[in-house]
Amino acid sequence: MPQVAIIMPQLGESIAEATIVKFLVQPGDTVAVDQEIIEVETNKATMGVTTLCGGTITTFHVEEGVSYAVGTQLGVIQASEEEIQATGVTPIGSGGAEQEGDGTLIEKTLSHGDNPAIAQQSQMDIPDSIDIKPNVHGLPVPVGTKGANYISPRMRARMDELGLHAADISAIQGNGSGGRVTIEDLEAFLVGIEDWPKSKASPMRLAVADAMRRSWTRPLATVGMPVVLDKVLAHRREQNPKPGLTLYILRAFALALREDPTSAGYLIGENIVHPKAFDIGVAVQVEDGVVVPVIRNADVKTVPELSQEYADLVEKARDRKLGKETFEKGIATVTNFGTFGLVSGTPIPLPNETLILGLGAGVKKPVWSDEANAFIPVTTCELVITFDHRVVDGGGAGMLLQKIRDYLQKPETL
Amino acid sequence: MVQTDNAQSLEQIHHCYRAMVMSRTLENKLSSLYKAGKIVGGVYLGKGQEAISAALGTVLERGKDVYAPLIRDQAGRTAFGEELLDVTRTYLGKVTGPMRGRDGNIHRGRPTEGMPAMISHLGASLSYIAGMLFARRLKGSLNDSIGAATFGDGATSTGAFHEGLNLAAVEKLPMIILVVNNCFAYSTPNDRQFACDNLVSRAEGYGIQGHHVDGTDFFKSLETMTAAAEAARAGGGPQLVVADVLRLCGHGEHDDAKYVPKNLWEGSRDCMDVAEQQLLEANYLTEAEIAEIKEDARLKVQEAVAIAQREPTPDPYLDDWSALGS
Amino acid sequence: MPLTYIEAIHQAQRELLAECPEVFIYGQDVGQFGGAFKATRGLSEEFAGRVIDSPISEDAMAGMVIGAAVEGARPILEMQFADFSSVAFNQIVNQAATHYYRTGVQVPLTVRLPSGGTPGSGPFHSQNMESLYAHYPGLIVVTPATVADAYGMLKEAVMMDNPVIFCEHKFLYNWLRADELKKNALPIGQARIVRQGKHVTVVTYGALVHEAVKAAEMLAADGWEIEVVDLRTVKPVDIDTIMASVSRTGRLLALGESYPWGGVTAEIVSQVVTEGFHLLDAPPMRLNSKDTPVPYHPDLWAAHRPTPESIVVALKHLLRL
Repeated sequence: MPQVAIIMPQLGESIAEATIVKFLVQPGDTVAVDQEIIEVETNKATMGVTTLCGGTITTFHVEEGVSYAVGTQLGVIQASEEEIQATGVTPIGSGGAEQEGDGTLIEKTLSHGDNPAIAQQSQMDIPDSIDIKPNVHGLPVPVGTKGANYISPRMRARMDELGLHAADISAIQGNGSGGRVTIEDLEAFLVGIEDWPKSKASPMRLAVADAMRRSWTRPLATVGMPVVLDKVLAHRREQNPKPGLTLYILRAFALALREDPTSAGYLIGENIVHPKAFDIGVAVQVEDGVVVPVIRNADVKTVPELSQEYADLVEKARDRKLGKETFEKGIATVTNFGTFGLVSGTPIPLPNETLILGLGAGVKKPVWSDEANAFIPVTTCELVITFDHRVVDGGGAGMLLQKIRDYLQKPETL
Repeated sequence: MVQTDNAQSLEQIHHCYRAMVMSRTLENKLSSLYKAGKIVGGVYLGKGQEAISAALGTVLERGKDVYAPLIRDQAGRTAFGEELLDVTRTYLGKVTGPMRGRDGNIHRGRPTEGMPAMISHLGASLSYIAGMLFARRLKGSLNDSIGAATFGDGATSTGAFHEGLNLAAVEKLPMIILVVNNCFAYSTPNDRQFACDNLVSRAEGYGIQGHHVDGTDFFKSLETMTAAAEAARAGGGPQLVVADVLRLCGHGEHDDAKYVPKNLWEGSRDCMDVAEQQLLEANYLTEAEIAEIKEDARLKVQEAVAIAQREPTPDPYLDDWSALGS
Repeated sequence: MPLTYIEAIHQAQRELLAECPEVFIYGQDVGQFGGAFKATRGLSEEFAGRVIDSPISEDAMAGMVIGAAVEGARPILEMQFADFSSVAFNQIVNQAATHYYRTGVQVPLTVRLPSGGTPGSGPFHSQNMESLYAHYPGLIVVTPATVADAYGMLKEAVMMDNPVIFCEHKFLYNWLRADELKKNALPIGQARIVRQGKHVTVVTYGALVHEAVKAAEMLAADGWEIEVVDLRTVKPVDIDTIMASVSRTGRLLALGESYPWGGVTAEIVSQVVTEGFHLLDAPPMRLNSKDTPVPYHPDLWAAHRPTPESIVVALKHLLRL
């Protein structure tokens, strides 16, 4: 026979629950339609829960003296098919159109009452006030819309449309407030370069541009120091095959960083992320760009070992056969711009690295020697390091350079 | 004050009594459905006010007159000819009802069929009915039709009631303004609501006719209402009818009316009992006929509830969500 | 024959009464006296029984015309001043505005609100109510700025089946004059670009359309081209025209005579920012009256509401951003 749910009614606006005062009938009793069967009490009034149809009380799920949420199933009435038909009530679990027609409200309130989380929530103590402290101090809003760095939504949308980055519009003299570039300035600039010759930038060029642009968002500084190379060069001449100078520098750099890993750390918010391993990249010039394959654990590999690995990498790099993983997770980079005859430079570290070590071209210089009481020829080069000034200071960078210089005076240890 | 000794036809008397029985039966059922958790929103009943309410509905003619009932006017609505299904469908929030789930319970109506749907702001219906009559007079279609609006003692304190009554009086519109003083506005007793001895004395201030009646008296209610309607139809302008009753229930079914003093309960009489007794004494109905009327009401209410229960509730995805008509 | 704004309203009402037997006019002193602003002068004699004096009962006046509209009439309710419609607020927003949604029965009602300030009118005869009524679902709110619109939009409003709040601007009543009535005006619901430009879009309505045009003329000397959009209808708002204009200019000034907290200008800015953030080349700007009651003294009054000078200052600032 059909079963009909007895539910806790909504006994007044904003009433969430009611307490069972007394059962007026017991399971097994026969009840008529509209009969009051349970006395309940809200904080507003006392009243009776009535039956939707006649039948027999099968069971009560609830207890006297306990409060239940509106919509809770309090019990079940078993009713005849005729009674269901006459009253239009929807029995528990019946589907079809009838359910749709009648059940919406009951189903909603039932699921509400059946869900302990919701039922509990309605009884939860809500504190009168919560001590809320601001987590942002200083200016309550962004600094404002003035100045060269401000890009308006319109500008941003137009630049996105054209694939422009902030750096691309650095050429534009802004006429907006504080010298900001307005959309009119941008459009005028674009019109101005319309008849200039253009070529398509290669994917490699765009990748380098992207990396440099991102890196350039940081306060970068460069310091340099001359290093005497004679001992390294002498050591190199004795090896077969002869390792590249870059590799001595690479090994010395790795060892120096191992002594002070924090200087290669990366600042994220309030934390410095330390290196997990001394994996160091080497900048390799390729057609239309630079790639930086990474040599793993450079601190524990000897120069001859590094030499072999490096030769493989360079060959693969020039053939563009290096896998993506080769370029990942470096902590610093060495670049030998001396191969282009450059004696000094200010290289830019990769955006995910704090340091880049640059090596200028070797130069023979006369240096006074007290021992020989004469000028003697010495080969020196300029060693520069560019660093994220948020992480490392000039002094720290100088210390690193000194350590590298010292290692280079003992090439046999490398 | 007019004398209330007009005679009604036996047919009108029966019609009025049937509406009262139907109203009481229906409201008991609505209360029960509420206490079984089936009603969306509140339930507000007119127990104890059926006689005066049904009397007004009886003297009005559906299709001709206009009637703005208030919250305790189930009897008047039924007497005026409101379909039972309009009631059950609206209370159950069904899409099939006249309000389509967009409004509920007592806020139902069919404005183009002479019965506006009340808003909750008391007193607002008085000028609305006045406007309906005004438009008819303008169009030349007023003839002898009249309008009526019901208020409680509480509604008489609103500015809208005063403004509307004054306007209706200025325009001399054929209206019945029924004030059912049921002693409480929610929980507020008369002595906190107004300071005059009897609300009917206000009629003089507005320059209109006043009628005062014991609203628990079936015959007197019908007589008074008949007189008021006749006066209005005859060009007598607005008629203020003040009926005294006691509300025999809470403000709504969520309210157990504990604030009503015991002696008031005990000293009161139920207009249903009075009507039954008066009808039997006058030999207008027999016990058997009364029993038959009650059983007939029970079956009709049961059917109207069953039909509405099976019908669909509104689907938010099907509502056009437009407050403007095209 | 030249015609003022108030004469256009008069003419529209006269034609409506003549053309449509369902139309009647209800309001304080609208009968023999012809209305506080003479919008109904002579009409009660010409249309006996259809231009009727009401008691001073704004609530009941509104309730009465709502009932009449439901019964098939097309009432025009004249509030003596827009300010006094606050007394009828309940009937307008709860009875008229909800009527169609609740019952499916439309209320073809027009409420005329003599709106806005004139010097010396003070706090209770100068208010602009369009923002309040626009907040409520179920009302159409119009703000004619020209003689032709005062005429054409009133004629259209009265023949609409939805309730219309007709905000006519008192400042324009006798100040604004047209040589002839253009009868092929835009329909209610469409905005109009009154002046083309490319540097800033000024979205405004009512009397401030004229102040905005003056400001635009003042800036034209410096080479600035200011586009002025006359909303005409505050609700439903013609957001397409606004968006199209902002997409041309990249800058928005929402200008209104009502109080600054919330309201029409806030809604315009909100819609443009949410739907057209990418169109903006500068933060959108609002200019309203000050956040005080409308002051009495003409000097205070003139400084309370936006003027061509204050609009120019706002625009110059916006152009600099």
